[in-house]
Amino acid sequence: MTSEGLARNSGGGIFLPLLFLACCVSAYASLSTGGRSDVGIWGLFEDGGTGAAVMQDIRAPRTLVALCLGVNLGLAGLILQAITRNALASPAILGINQGAALGLALGLVFPALGAVLDLKALSIAGAFLAGLISFGIAGGFGGRLDSLRLVLGGVAVGAFAYALVRFTFTLEDDVARQVLRWTVGNITDVRMNEVRSIAGWSAGGLIATALLAHRLNLMALGEAQATGLGADPRFTLLAGAIVAACLTGTAVAVAGPIAFTGLVVPHICRLLLGSDHRLLVPATALAGAALMMTADAASKWLTAPIETPVGVVVALIGAPYFLYQTLFARGLD
Amino acid sequence: MRQPVLFAFLVVGLTFSAIWSLSAGAVPISWQVIANTLFDLEGPKQEFIVLKSRLPRTFLAMLTGGSLALSGAIVQALLRNPLASPKIIGINSGAALGVCLMVLILPGISLAWLPVAAVVGGIVAALVIYLGADLRGASPVRLALVGIAVGFVFDAGVDFILVTSSDAQFSAPLIWLTGSLWARGWTHLNLVWPWLAALAVLAMLLSYWLDLIRLGETAATGLGLRVRVARLILLSIAVLLAALSVSVVGVLGFVGLMAPHIARTLVGGSHKVMMPCAMLVGMWLVVLADAAGRAIAPPVEVSAGVLTAMLGAPFFVYVMIRAGRAARV
Repeated sequence: MTSEGLARNSGGGIFLPLLFLACCVSAYASLSTGGRSDVGIWGLFEDGGTGAAVMQDIRAPRTLVALCLGVNLGLAGLILQAITRNALASPAILGINQGAALGLALGLVFPALGAVLDLKALSIAGAFLAGLISFGIAGGFGGRLDSLRLVLGGVAVGAFAYALVRFTFTLEDDVARQVLRWTVGNITDVRMNEVRSIAGWSAGGLIATALLAHRLNLMALGEAQATGLGADPRFTLLAGAIVAACLTGTAVAVAGPIAFTGLVVPHICRLLLGSDHRLLVPATALAGAALMMTADAASKWLTAPIETPVGVVVALIGAPYFLYQTLFARGLD
Repeated sequence: MRQPVLFAFLVVGLTFSAIWSLSAGAVPISWQVIANTLFDLEGPKQEFIVLKSRLPRTFLAMLTGGSLALSGAIVQALLRNPLASPKIIGINSGAALGVCLMVLILPGISLAWLPVAAVVGGIVAALVIYLGADLRGASPVRLALVGIAVGFVFDAGVDFILVTSSDAQFSAPLIWLTGSLWARGWTHLNLVWPWLAALAVLAMLLSYWLDLIRLGETAATGLGLRVRVARLILLSIAVLLAALSVSVVGVLGFVGLMAPHIARTLVGGSHKVMMPCAMLVGMWLVVLADAAGRAIAPPVEVSAGVLTAMLGAPFFVYVMIRAGRAARV
């Protein structure tokens, strides 16, 4: 975070509208692809009939959920990368996704637990706890956060939580295939209910992140400077972690753990817009939404007539990108 | 004096676990019946379950556990990286993708080709990591990270193939993928045991190379070892051991990481002693995981791979923190 990084902010004037445009195009792509090629986007505005039913009950909810997922995961990744000062941080890499999945799985398998706490609350709690453990493993509580250990520890926490998820599900029933479809991130069957359950969180998360943006900027200067400028880094860390956990937890509750969106989207935005979080927050939200809606379109079109879960589409792009980052990213060793 | 006792203890423990593994499951079988069946004392009792189902499974668990442990020991020594293991550096996922691709492209192909596909996939993964590490001169922790990333890439491919194929024939590889010995029988055992046994013997015979390499490249060369050749041969053995295991039981994570560490704590770092010890520990781990998976909630089976991951992930963190401390001092 240097003056050079802030100087590139002038690009925001061009790129934000461009990202918005990309969002619109991908929304159109997501809405107009699907099993029935005779149904088009005009169905949204019809009153009754097959076209209207398909568009309003099936495709529109999917597109909206994809949009919300992109916002949630992109912002969660942005916050995590800022508060850990680690370019590889993201919900999936730090095990937060898998932690949320574990919370959700426990709630589904043990109805007693699900009755006490809302499923979404369990998912958020799992996300927060997993993040906390990864942070602790990396020495975050001792005051020196080791970036490589954060990533490796997060992967280990993720592997552990994932094994527990599989364990809970094998105990429940032998539904391996459905479980796999869910554990890779799937939004094939979402309806308006899911949209309602996630949209509020996305909007709230966006506002919360925007409020934190200035503090995230200060965080990048280093903890001593942040304190000197009147922003207690511990507060930023805690608030950021809570917001990220809520964003991730609600996303996982709706679609299962989708990896790599939280990693890739902030990177692209930083490349385009520099490192001022006041610009990055809206940019990440737009770019995340655009990516997820494009992925949704691709998931319907790539292997038609069978659908590829959207999480797999993202992983096919994101995993090679992560490999590239681990090979060439600087400042990790 | 200590070592023979230790090895005897491991062998006895392994034997008892193997017997437990024969008795545990959807149909609990008492120890007397097992003994009667194995030694044919009083006619066929539970013959089918013991001889056709559980005995080959137990053997397969031993075989793959030992192979993964040896592979892990070699990889850790070659990369001088306590965090390395066939799973961490992506070989297992590569082998899994190899098998999935083969089943996808050539659905009618005979089972006998599974190991070949797995080996090809494992070699590709190893090459990526070898080149990546070589080019960048990476630190041990960085290397583990690159390996994990390579694993992610292959896993994404495996997921893609598994979830988009509508065929029922894929439900079997799906179980297979999670590192399970479910429905493995004599056919699978016969497919790989000669190869794995030969490779294990070879690994033991060449284990002194690992000791020489540990001294450093110059010293090893001075003692008459052609280091580059030795490294390549050893790495190939490690890849083959891991990939062949994956081709029959899927991705059993963290066995290759844990077993060598436990063995090193027990008998020290000399590979001539450590490798056999690691092999026994690896066998024991997988036999126990398989048996426990059947015993936890019969008739439902928990994959052995799930259990080893639950044990292995915390272990990985422990090794990482300890390695970090050692590096700082």
